[in-house]
Amino acid sequence: MASSANSTFTSQRWERYLTTILIVVGLLLIIWFGMRSAVSAIRVWRTGLQPGVTDVEAIRGWMTIPYIGQAFGVPEEYLFEALGTPAGGNRRKSLGKLNREYASGERGAILKRLKAAIRRYQTEQPARTKGVP
Amino acid sequence: MSEISLTDWLLTGMLNYGAPTIGLALLIGAVGVPLPSTFFVLAAGAFARQGALDGPTTAMLGFLGAVVGDSLSYGIGRVARTWVQRRFVASAAWHQALVAFERRGGLAIYLTRFLVTPLAIPTNLIAGSGGYSYWRFFLYGAGGKLTWIGLYGGLGYLFGPQWELLSQLVSDFSGLLVGLIVLGSGLYVWLRRRKATNIPVAKKRRMAAIN
Repeated sequence: MASSANSTFTSQRWERYLTTILIVVGLLLIIWFGMRSAVSAIRVWRTGLQPGVTDVEAIRGWMTIPYIGQAFGVPEEYLFEALGTPAGGNRRKSLGKLNREYASGERGAILKRLKAAIRRYQTEQPARTKGVP
Repeated sequence: MSEISLTDWLLTGMLNYGAPTIGLALLIGAVGVPLPSTFFVLAAGAFARQGALDGPTTAMLGFLGAVVGDSLSYGIGRVARTWVQRRFVASAAWHQALVAFERRGGLAIYLTRFLVTPLAIPTNLIAGSGGYSYWRFFLYGAGGKLTWIGLYGGLGYLFGPQWELLSQLVSDFSGLLVGLIVLGSGLYVWLRRRKATNIPVAKKRRMAAIN
């Protein structure tokens, strides 16, 4: 009898803890992700999500030169030349890896050179750049 | 730019090796490795738009990887079933949860594939350990994954270069939905407890009134 009463008490206490935890965690998640969602939505709204718009600021460290060349309509040979790196053996390497190998890991060095090269190409040959897709 | 992450490594892999990498990424994510799978699907859609990936092959291999991954995490739950049953055999709440899952599990499985994706792994484990039928799990799961790949892959394809921006919004909104579900569950348990504790009080009052 005493054991059964004890078990009911433990179960009730466990349920009370669970309820509190769920409500507190739920509220924290709502506040945190609610704020983040609002910020993301404002950013999307301001950018306008234009399907055809792309700019060099969208280039990331995981991208490869052939992909960037294709996305921006710039020949990859031109990009490799501008970066001062040979194309052979580097076509599959990400910008991050190229940065480590050819810029001694100097933060953003390859990226800076690449952006400059794309902008230069776009002004030199505006008709040939696609502004993908 | 010098940081190496598994996400970056897989994205570079998608560009270099194509569709099999997305299949692998979605499989790993579905097993429970914390990877931004929805981000990959949006990326794959955008890459297909840019001509870096073949759309149909990517969708097919991505779907296959995701479904196999889901089945594996269901299997992990199934392996843990004996332990779970031994641990919770006396728990009335566990049995109630199983009955509820048996009744509405299909909807939970479907929705957690694309709407509240952070809850997909716990759902798979509960389904496996609770003895939910594999074929029902597979059908609802495959339906959810098709919706997931079609919806987010389609958005990635539609918005091309701006998929990253969209991915952030989708991820934050998914977190918000999880918060709403957690809060809703807390309120549900609280209301049920209140109702249960109020019944004996009402009974006592009625008895007192009769006497």
